[in-house]
Amino acid sequence: MTRHFFITLFIALFLSAPVSANQQLVADLDQEEVFITTDFTGAELLLFGAFDRASIDDIAIIVTGPPKTIAVRRKKNIIGIWLNTAKVDAIDLPSFYHILTTRPLNDIANLDTRTINHLGFTQIPFQLDDDNSAEIDAANQWKEALIRNMKNTGLWANRNGEIKIIGDVLFRANIEIPANIIPGKYKVRTLHFRNGIVVNENISSITVSKTGLSALIYRLAHEYSVFYGIFAIIFAVASGWMAAIAFRK
Amino acid sequence: MYIYLPIAEISMNIFTIIGLGGAVGLLSGIFGVGGGFLMTPLLIFLGVPAPVAVGTEANQIVASSVSGVLAHFRRDNVDFKMGSVLLAGGLLGSTLGVALFSLLRELGQIDVVIKMSFIVFLGLIGTLMLVESIRAIMRSRQVGARRGKLHQHNWLHGLPFKMRFRKSKLYISALLPFGVGAIVGVLSAIMGVGGGFIMVPAMIYLLGMPTSVVVGTSLFQIIFVTANVTFLQSVQTQTVDIMLAGLLLFGGVIGAQFGTRVGVLLKGEQLRGLLAMLVLLVCAKLIFDVVIMPDDLFSVEFIR
Repeated sequence: MTRHFFITLFIALFLSAPVSANQQLVADLDQEEVFITTDFTGAELLLFGAFDRASIDDIAIIVTGPPKTIAVRRKKNIIGIWLNTAKVDAIDLPSFYHILTTRPLNDIANLDTRTINHLGFTQIPFQLDDDNSAEIDAANQWKEALIRNMKNTGLWANRNGEIKIIGDVLFRANIEIPANIIPGKYKVRTLHFRNGIVVNENISSITVSKTGLSALIYRLAHEYSVFYGIFAIIFAVASGWMAAIAFRK
Repeated sequence: MYIYLPIAEISMNIFTIIGLGGAVGLLSGIFGVGGGFLMTPLLIFLGVPAPVAVGTEANQIVASSVSGVLAHFRRDNVDFKMGSVLLAGGLLGSTLGVALFSLLRELGQIDVVIKMSFIVFLGLIGTLMLVESIRAIMRSRQVGARRGKLHQHNWLHGLPFKMRFRKSKLYISALLPFGVGAIVGVLSAIMGVGGGFIMVPAMIYLLGMPTSVVVGTSLFQIIFVTANVTFLQSVQTQTVDIMLAGLLLFGGVIGAQFGTRVGVLLKGEQLRGLLAMLVLLVCAKLIFDVVIMPDDLFSVEFIR
C-alpha cells in the first residue's frame, strides 16, 4: 500500500540524516487533496512525522477549515410548539476544527499557551456580529451552545491521546474527514511541546474540493440558478413524458 | 451504496431513495393520489433539510403530473378553460408562496412552518379519509344506499365575473377557481406538494365540477404551478436537488406502474382506510417533532 511505502521511505530518510542537537520536527500528510465525489462518505488522512523527543514532550495537531459565519438559534416553547425565537451570528469561526493530541490538552500546556495558540474549543476566538449587541451579556451561553452543536455535527472534535508515538522518534495520527465537510483550504498545524512550551511548529495544508457530477450540479444551482431552474423543469417534463410512453399499454 | 446529494449536502443510501420513491409511487398508483403530501415529510424524516425536501418535491411532481396528465388528455378529460383560470390563480399563489418561503427561511422559521402546514393538512385529510372509508364500509353492508345532490348553490355562486366552462358544464364566477388556484398555489410552494388532495375536493364540492374532468384538469394545472415553484425555488432559495428528484422519480415511475395494476385487484374502502391511517401516522410523527422538547434548544447553521 502506498501509505506504508511512504512511511517506510520517511523513516529511512529520517534515520539516514541524524537529528541535530536542536529540537527538530518534521511532519507530512499521505495526501493533500480530498475530493468530494458523488459517492463520498468521508475520508481518513494519515499524518506522520518525527521529532527529537525528550521524556515529557508532546505533540498536538490542529486542523482548521475555512472561516464561516455561524448562526446560532435558540428555541423557546410558544403555546406548545418549539420555535426559534433568538439568534446570534458568530463571525469568522473555523468551519472545521479537529484537535489531536498525545495527552489531554490541559496536561500539555497551561492556559496562556493554549489561548495564544487557539488550542481547544474554548480558546477559539468567539466574536458576535455587531447587531447582536443585546446578547453580548449572555455570550458565554451562546458560545457553549455553539461548541456543543458543532461537536455534534462532527466538524469540531477534540481527540485527546490519539497521536501514536513510535519508538520515541516517530508519531502518526489519523485525521478524520467527515462526509459533511465544507470545501476549501484546510490548515494543518503540528506543534511540538516541551515543558508546556511550543518549541517547534510545522504547517501543511489540505485542499477539499467538490468534483464530478455533484460539484457540477452544485455550481450550476448556485452560479447559474436561472439556467438550473429551467433545466430542472425540462428534465422533469422529459422524464415524465418518457415514463408515460414507456409504460403505455 | 451511498450517494452524495449536491444540494441537500448529505450522503444517502441510493437504494433508500429509490425505495422511498417506489413505495410512494406504489401508493399513488393504487389510490390515484399525487404522493407529494407523503414524500415531503418522509424525506424530512430521513434527514433531508426541510427546505430542500420541499423544493425537490415540487420538481418531482412536475414529472409525475406530466406522465399522469397524458392519459387524461387522450381521453379528453381536461377542461383547459377551467384549468387556465385555476392556473392563473396558481401562478400568483405559488409566486407569493415562494417569496414567503424565502422570507421565513431567513427568519429561521421555515422548518416549523413546513411541519405545521403538514400537520394541519395531513390531519384534516387523514381524518376525512378515515371517516369516509368507514362510512363506505358500513354503507356497502346496507342495501339501497342514498345519494345526495351533485352540488349545491350558495352565495359563492353569486360572485361577479361569471364565465362559462363548457366542458365542466358550469356557469360560475371566475373568481372562484382563481381563488382556489391561488390558495393551493401558496401551499404548493410552502409544502412542496401538487395540492391535488385539496384541489380535487374543492373542484368537486366547491366549484361543482363533474368528477370525470376533475383529475385531468387538476393535473394539467399542477404541472405549471409546480414548474413555477421549481423555477422560483431554484432562483431564490437554491433548494431544488436534481439528483434527489431524479432518483425519487426513477423509483416512483416503477412503483406507480405496479400500483395501478395492484389497485385494480384490491378492495377500495379498506385500502383507503389504510392510507388514511398512514397519513395520520405521518401527521402524528410531525406533531411529536414540534411538540416534544428538543434535546438541544440551540441549533447551528453556516450562513456565510
